[in-house]
Amino acid sequence: MTTIPAARRRRNTLLGWSFLLPNFIGFALLTMVPVVLLFYYAFTSWDMFGGSEWTGLDNFQQMVRDASFRTALGNTLYYTVFHIPLTLLAALGLALLLNKRLRGVAFFRTVAFFPYITSIVAVAQVWNMLFSPGYGPINAVLRAVGVDNPPGWTTSADWSMPAVIVVGTWREMGYFMLIFLAGLQTVPGELYEAARVDGANAWQRLRAVTLPCLRPTTFFVIVMLTINSFKVFDLILVMTNGGPGQSTLVLAQYIYRKGFEENQFGYASAVSVVLFGICFLVTVVQFLVNRRREA
Amino acid sequence: MNRSITAVLGAATVLSLALTGCSSGDDGAGADGKTTLTLAGWSLATTPEFKLLADGFHQKNPDVTVELKEYDPKNYDTQMIADLAAGKAPDIYVQKTLKNFYTYQSGKQLLDVSDVAAGLKSANGLSSYQVDGKTFAVPYRGDSWVIYYNKALFDQAKVKYPDGSWTWDDYAAAGKQLTTGLKTAGSKALGIYEHVWQSTLQGFALAQTPGADLASGNFGYLKPYYTRALDLQKAGAQVGLGDATTNNLTYQAQFGKQQAAMMTMGTWYIATLLSQQKSGDADTFEWGIAPAPQADKSTTGTAATPVTFADPTGLGINPKIDKGEIDAAKAFLSYAAGPDAAKALAAIGITPANTDAAADTIFAVKGVPTDAVAKFAFTKHDTKPENPVGKYTAPLQNILNDLHTAVLSGSKDIDAAIAEAQDRAKNEVLNK
Repeated sequence: MTTIPAARRRRNTLLGWSFLLPNFIGFALLTMVPVVLLFYYAFTSWDMFGGSEWTGLDNFQQMVRDASFRTALGNTLYYTVFHIPLTLLAALGLALLLNKRLRGVAFFRTVAFFPYITSIVAVAQVWNMLFSPGYGPINAVLRAVGVDNPPGWTTSADWSMPAVIVVGTWREMGYFMLIFLAGLQTVPGELYEAARVDGANAWQRLRAVTLPCLRPTTFFVIVMLTINSFKVFDLILVMTNGGPGQSTLVLAQYIYRKGFEENQFGYASAVSVVLFGICFLVTVVQFLVNRRREA
Repeated sequence: MNRSITAVLGAATVLSLALTGCSSGDDGAGADGKTTLTLAGWSLATTPEFKLLADGFHQKNPDVTVELKEYDPKNYDTQMIADLAAGKAPDIYVQKTLKNFYTYQSGKQLLDVSDVAAGLKSANGLSSYQVDGKTFAVPYRGDSWVIYYNKALFDQAKVKYPDGSWTWDDYAAAGKQLTTGLKTAGSKALGIYEHVWQSTLQGFALAQTPGADLASGNFGYLKPYYTRALDLQKAGAQVGLGDATTNNLTYQAQFGKQQAAMMTMGTWYIATLLSQQKSGDADTFEWGIAPAPQADKSTTGTAATPVTFADPTGLGINPKIDKGEIDAAKAFLSYAAGPDAAKALAAIGITPANTDAAADTIFAVKGVPTDAVAKFAFTKHDTKPENPVGKYTAPLQNILNDLHTAVLSGSKDIDAAIAEAQDRAKNEVLNK
């Protein structure tokens, strides 16, 4: 057992702090303070120019009566429920496919990752043109294969959300594929060998070896996907701007509208608090479920 | 070692203080009697009016320099509100639309400029900036919506030019006639292009329907306008909203590249069209303007005053301006809203708020149509605000924008959409 002299211990502590501090100050000023203030503003009628009155639970009572809030919440859940499993499956599928030794695998990995680093505005514009009901290639193909009444995609209230989900999945699958690929490298080769010796086929090896070994990765991916889905904003803003009507209005955009377009920052903060609460709750549940499975 | 950590931290603090100090540096009236004012603007490369006003004022007042601060046109108000709240906004800023004037005025972000207003002889739209007998901004541009039409395409389709006698039904009928005529002549152009904005229908409906009131939360007045637009979309006489949004169509290209024979648009497009025809971004063809179509015959014809809409564009003063610069800023406002600036603006095709002083100038600009109908359309109109100033204007317009996209995309029929918008207005805005 070694004891560290007090002076050196203090020096080490200070040294540690000096490394932490630059990042921590930035985090505290630019993230922590606004987040804490948000909880305060949620109970006021702040208008950004200093006029801020304590209104207690008014904002939350208004939210209960607010049909648009319910629409936005419903749409957010709609997006989340489809976006998470679709992206998870697509990312895992891609990762398994591109984890093999085959010619040009680096090229295909890059291709799969490309959507994630492409400018969202450009992506949305191109997809919008692909989806264009009258002139877009997607509907041209559908018509060619015999679909008489192809959907209106982003111009139809029923199909706009599916269209956005497709693009959201396409955009994010490459990123999560990369995380799965990293996870796959940690699966010990001898487990596969043992499984093969026991006569397991490819499907059985996937179920009994790959998936259980990937559980920590999968958990991380699901948590990230959940939070990403709940706070989806930029994609929808540039693709449909919440329309047609309110068919793709999601919570993050509703907050933006209330705050930056209608200057009801107090109310917008209250909706943000609710969004935070939902994300928090879902993540906690996921943690608990994951821990029980591991035990 | 400890000392060096302290030194590093100290240096970092000094550095950060110096950096923040730099950004808040403000140069106001100097000791030499020279004053520098800052003015907000957007898209400075393609919007010459701000530099024109700044230079024109400096020429008359050599001691005052006006510096421009550029903003993003799409997010102008969002950025301006943030800058005002942070105390970083320029001395003089533009009221780009009336939608946010209430926010600025009620948020105490505009200086009282009643004395400037009292000195103005003619300024269309001034009353929109008056609250409780005080004036908080003065208009320097006074656009209004008119019909733009392509004479070549009209000739090709053998349809008579608009002459100021049109109601909306005449406009729709002409649009269909043009579309068939152009098709027969082998042209791909459509009769009408209406841009994706809610104002193309709602601005006219609100301005022209007797008794229509945005703040009442009753939106029944929209129905005839939407019924007509849906019919035109269905008949193929104009591009549908869905195709226009998914393909990101611009009205400048639709009219300038002769994809449509006519469209309604604000008079700001005159300057753009002139410069795009010169640069080659638009085709070279003969075009004209005519009064906007009317709700009924009572306001058509050159003996009546056509009713149209548009928001004035105004200038206001940031209350955080240095006390010593207020007089100079007010002098700038008087200049910008006055006759000299009006002539200078008109010379580049912009419609100033003071149209009386500018009519001769604008029709002398090469390329501007000079026929009697065009002159009538430019000078005579009853222009109502698109966004009547009020506490609820911004949220109500957001609700009506949802109605706009829902109805024109065919997702909801007009009666259901109006009923829903009225419910939302009542529950979420008016009686919340």
